[in-house]
Amino acid sequence: MPDAELFDESGRSRGSGRGGPDPTGQHPAEQALRESEERFRLLVQSVVDYAIFMLDSDGRIASWNAGAQRIKGYTAAEAIGKHFSVFYPPEEVAADKPGRELKTAVVEGRLEDEGWRVRKDGTRFWANVVITPLFDETGRLRGFGKVTRDMTERRTAERALDERGRLLSRLVQAQETERRRIAWNVHEDTIQAMVAVGMRLQLLAGRLPGEHAPAMRRLNDAVDEAVSRLRGLTFRLHPPGIDRGGLVEGLSGYLDQMMGEAGLAYEFRHDLDREPPSEAAITVFRICQEALANVGKHARAKKVTVSLVSAGHGVLVRVADDGVGIGRPVDALVRPDHFGLIDMRERAETAGGWWRMHGQPGAGTTVEFWVPALAHGEGGPLL
Amino acid sequence: MNAVPRRLTVLIGDDEPMIREVLREVLQAEPDLDVVAVAPDAAETVRLAERHAPAVVILDVRMPGGGAGAAREILRRSPGTRVMAFSAYGDTGIVAEMRRAGVADYLIKGVPNTEIVAAVRRLAATG
Repeated sequence: MPDAELFDESGRSRGSGRGGPDPTGQHPAEQALRESEERFRLLVQSVVDYAIFMLDSDGRIASWNAGAQRIKGYTAAEAIGKHFSVFYPPEEVAADKPGRELKTAVVEGRLEDEGWRVRKDGTRFWANVVITPLFDETGRLRGFGKVTRDMTERRTAERALDERGRLLSRLVQAQETERRRIAWNVHEDTIQAMVAVGMRLQLLAGRLPGEHAPAMRRLNDAVDEAVSRLRGLTFRLHPPGIDRGGLVEGLSGYLDQMMGEAGLAYEFRHDLDREPPSEAAITVFRICQEALANVGKHARAKKVTVSLVSAGHGVLVRVADDGVGIGRPVDALVRPDHFGLIDMRERAETAGGWWRMHGQPGAGTTVEFWVPALAHGEGGPLL
Repeated sequence: MNAVPRRLTVLIGDDEPMIREVLREVLQAEPDLDVVAVAPDAAETVRLAERHAPAVVILDVRMPGGGAGAAREILRRSPGTRVMAFSAYGDTGIVAEMRRAGVADYLIKGVPNTEIVAAVRRLAATG
């Protein structure tokens, strides 16, 4: 390999990595050392595959490289001075994971971790992180070196090949089959029986003396209402369209029907490279369904925007409303009695993805999540 | 004495006994309608349609062997008959498929009895 040309921040060449004649008259050994350090600094700065940066002893960012900008999305000017906890998901910040990681690194001399980290735009990547404490000659802690690698693609590919991926795919399919069966039974059996009851009531009403008419009408209305609720249930259990036309068509049909009934305007944007495998499509659909149900129940919104885009061998989804927003931190909302939020997060995480909800009082709420979209066994070429 | 007006003949094909029986009673309660037969499956519906050549067949869409194929077969064997689909499902795909098969009307289960009776009369009148 030829010597790498090294560039400083302004793009000026800093030489080819070989020593030249000494224009400054400095001591050759001193100059060689300085040049070597400079080249090393430029090397670190230029690496794009790894985020390599320094933290001060409190965890504030003190240096930045090209890899850090690429992986995390912040420029050096934006990153330097910030506390490194900005890279952690809010639930981990709340649990003081960043602080604990620094303490562990100091005690054990090194810390390695894998987990979701947050980019500047709020999306997440699966990170492999190594934190090394830096001590001076006197043994005083001067800061930390941090090396982070984006392992999202690798993890997604591995999971598509491993046993867990196979089990997950079967689990999602089995759950969906079960729902379909329940929906079918309710439709073919329970609803038909209720319809027959309604028809009998009307028949009876025609034969009874007039004074019973109001009571019969109320009875009939109650039966109609039961039929319509059961139809709503079967639609939610198994919306038509997703098996036949795929994710976009299924979601589009669902939005059309449900947002129409809720009196909400909606916008649906989608830019998918291809149809995701069915378990990913089901996961995306079910999380959207839950998010939309929450919009209908809590948001008091006028409009909801749903977007699907292909991102990093997966699907990145946003469901954003213009409603009242959320007043409390999401973690306070994700409680055992809040099945919907827990269900959304668990679905995304079980699929190997991530989920988050954010918003501010009066400024709407956004549910955002990403799930991998590689079929089981499809991970090969990436590894 | 006036002659008794000709009664409109109806055949019901539905695999759900509760629906089949109540539908027969609802139609039979109308002086101008006569339910000539009821059938529990598609093959029987086709067979009885050929035998009775009723004015109207009320056909459940989702019963085994039913749907568009049964509707076509009824119309082939009894060309004067009008077929009305009676279904728990109303998605546009199924409705369009039944229309292509020659079904003249499509009612969703749960509509008031008066609508069912009106639809039967309307079909018989245009048959």
